[in-house]
Amino acid sequence: MNDVLAGLALTKRFGQTVALGGVDITVRAAEAVAIMGPSGSGKSTLLHCLAGIMKPDGGEVHLLGQRIDAMGERERSALRRTRFGFVFQFGQLLPELPAEENVALPLMLGGVARAQAVRQAREWFGPLGLHGMETRRPGELSGGQAQRVAIARALVTKPAVVFADEPTGALDQTTGHDTMRLLVEATRHNGASLIVVTHDPNVAGWCDRTVEVRDGRLLAGGVPA
Amino acid sequence: MNLDLTWRLLKGGGRRGMLGTWLTLGAVAVSTALLLFAVTANFAFEARGERGAWRNPVAAAQGQQAVAMAGSRLDYVRDREIVIVDLAALGPSTSVPSVPPVPSLPPGLPRFPAPGEAFFSPALAELAEELPAGQLAARFPAMTGVLGDEALVHPEELVAVVGHRPDAPVMTAPRGADAAPVRVSGLAGEPSMDSQGYRVLALIGSILMVVPLLVFGGAAARLTVARRDQRLAALRLIGATPGQVVGMTVAEAVIVAFAGVLAGTVAYALALPLLTRIRMGGGPWFAADLWPDLPVLGATIVAVPLLVGLSAVAGLRRVVVSPLGVAKRETPPAMRFLRVLVLLAVLAVFPLLSRESGIAIVAVAIGLAFLSVNLVGPWVVGIIGRITARGARGPARLLAGRRLVDDPRSAWRTVSGVAMTGFVAGFLALLSPGAFAGDAVPGQLRVVVAEGSPSAVADRARDLLGKAGVRATVKHSEDVVAVTVADRDDPAALDRGRTVLTGLVPGRTLTTGADDDRMGTQLLADVGVGTVVVLSVSFLVAIASAGITAASSILDRRQTYGLLRLAGTPLTVLDRARRTETLVPLTVMGGGSIVVGAFCATPFLFGAPNANGLVMLLVCVALGFGGVLGAGALSRPLLRSVTTDPAPRPD
Repeated sequence: MNDVLAGLALTKRFGQTVALGGVDITVRAAEAVAIMGPSGSGKSTLLHCLAGIMKPDGGEVHLLGQRIDAMGERERSALRRTRFGFVFQFGQLLPELPAEENVALPLMLGGVARAQAVRQAREWFGPLGLHGMETRRPGELSGGQAQRVAIARALVTKPAVVFADEPTGALDQTTGHDTMRLLVEATRHNGASLIVVTHDPNVAGWCDRTVEVRDGRLLAGGVPA
Repeated sequence: MNLDLTWRLLKGGGRRGMLGTWLTLGAVAVSTALLLFAVTANFAFEARGERGAWRNPVAAAQGQQAVAMAGSRLDYVRDREIVIVDLAALGPSTSVPSVPPVPSLPPGLPRFPAPGEAFFSPALAELAEELPAGQLAARFPAMTGVLGDEALVHPEELVAVVGHRPDAPVMTAPRGADAAPVRVSGLAGEPSMDSQGYRVLALIGSILMVVPLLVFGGAAARLTVARRDQRLAALRLIGATPGQVVGMTVAEAVIVAFAGVLAGTVAYALALPLLTRIRMGGGPWFAADLWPDLPVLGATIVAVPLLVGLSAVAGLRRVVVSPLGVAKRETPPAMRFLRVLVLLAVLAVFPLLSRESGIAIVAVAIGLAFLSVNLVGPWVVGIIGRITARGARGPARLLAGRRLVDDPRSAWRTVSGVAMTGFVAGFLALLSPGAFAGDAVPGQLRVVVAEGSPSAVADRARDLLGKAGVRATVKHSEDVVAVTVADRDDPAALDRGRTVLTGLVPGRTLTTGADDDRMGTQLLADVGVGTVVVLSVSFLVAIASAGITAASSILDRRQTYGLLRLAGTPLTVLDRARRTETLVPLTVMGGGSIVVGAFCATPFLFGAPNANGLVMLLVCVALGFGGVLGAGALSRPLLRSVTTDPAPRPD
């Protein structure tokens, strides 16, 4: 099997609230998976557990066969930096940095020299329709442009998995449509898997598979058919 | 309605909002307490000068009727100074001065002393009782009464007011030119040159303290400006008028500042007993001297919240101008080179000043130089940011450089306190003169014999010392008699010698070399104490400022920090970026301010700058760096706590 990421019997509680009540989920290489559910259903908690942001109370998370939920914070940080990419609804770009440096930052954090990191970062601007935006600051970009910069930043380290949390939540329908297309195409083109948390069926429609979460449990789609 | 909404927003700001409010309140409280100290110190010196004026008699002008003779001289006991005021009433017949015609007595003197009477200050009375009479009390007539506090410069002052007949030798014999008794028409006198000098030093010290305090107060008002920015920008977006936004800002800032002012006043009152122990001009302070008068207190309570309100408004200009300005975080407009020109113009004035320049001109020039450094600070920080970002190879320096460019004012707020202290340290380092190199012989008392034979005086001294059983060697030169006590290291022996020889030469006291240098050494010690006080206040402000701005900076950027951590950025990189963001401007601006401060002090230099000044400067630099880094490090747990929240959420 070419499973990239797997969550097995994941549980997580916040006080008396059960956020995850034993979730099993598997994601294959270059597969795009949408996690859907209403507010408070546990979909963001599931994403955080799979991305190593949060430790589950029970169960296991495996990335390419390696167990990551048992790792320490430092190792999980390094993993997020090198093997994962992130796209969020808003606020993920550093307002002080020009667009190209925002994209180059993960490479620099990984030890790539600045000049080379910026060179590599610029290569993403053309394909994502951002030509000429390299030196603009996030405040000078439109919402759609900012999300495309975020996509470039998520992919620049050639991650195994890209996590996107409501990536089109702050965009209008047309811009959201374009952004999702670019996100799915770019991740697939790079051989990365994509996990998108959304409550929008149109966004989920871009993915290969949809996983439904209700009250911390999967209703369907946890394992590829 | 605005006030009601403001109050609701203030109360409902959540944990983060309340933290910001408390930080502002605390900062204003610290500023107020220190401001009260800085301002009141001037009045305190003035009060001392006025209380001591009566010992500095002014000769009656021609045509004025002289009613008394008055003169002051100094004596010493146990290495402490005694001010002796010799008074003689001039009656219609100078031979019968039993009904003193002096119309007004100085406050604190119960009555005009008749010949052979003496009034002592409480401290002298106590010491006279404590020491054997042969070491102190025998120098004076028996104590008639005690002087009130109104007659004293400070509570521990040793003062004796001694009554004489106008024709007594002590009143008529020649003294040094400054101390000769004069015929006076009243005992009001005038503040001494020394007290005037202290007032100038106090004024300089106050300016050096007040300016950083105002800067700190301004920074405090803008501590939470990012929070207000976004909230008020949102209000502008939904149609609030600029007037309403400004009104709410002023109201919020003033409410918090007013509470801070009250807290600061209470803190100052609580600290008063400690502050009175600061020894200046030979002793501690009366509490009343350091407690502000009602007008000063009232002005502070009104002015500080007003300044805080104005500062908050200044911080919100961008919101008022454009509601989208903050919401979209555009690049702030670059600052103008004009700021540097202002500093250069102010500095160009300093070579024209000297110690003879008027106090007001000097005060204004120092204040302007200080403010100009503050004006140039953000501009330089912006330049430093560009250089840092351009040369950055790693992410920490890149982040730091870009942040400095993005918001140089905020970065300046973090380091401005220490940079301002650098100015103070640079200024005072040059003003610290070298020590007096006295050639005093230990245990040797000397007196100038202006009239009569020194040889006869020496013989009389030997006689008096022999009768009192004080072993000493007496020598004389052309006009000086020198008495060296056998037991040079015993202060009791020296004081016995002084007491036995009291009146040896009328109107003159026998002094040691150390006594003669006392004024200089006293001034040196006081400049030292003043420097420590000013620098302590500056450092307290600087470090508090650095700590508060570091904490508020984390709170304001918590979303950015959270997302960076979430994307795998190590905490150490974030911390290094924060440290670089502070250290780089601190190094440049701290160093620059020291140079500017030293430059500004050049016209007022007296004596050669000494090693102590340099040591003080180095200690300041070390303390400044350590303090700011320490204050930044204290906010590391806050950084950790805001970045452990995994869910990025909008503010």
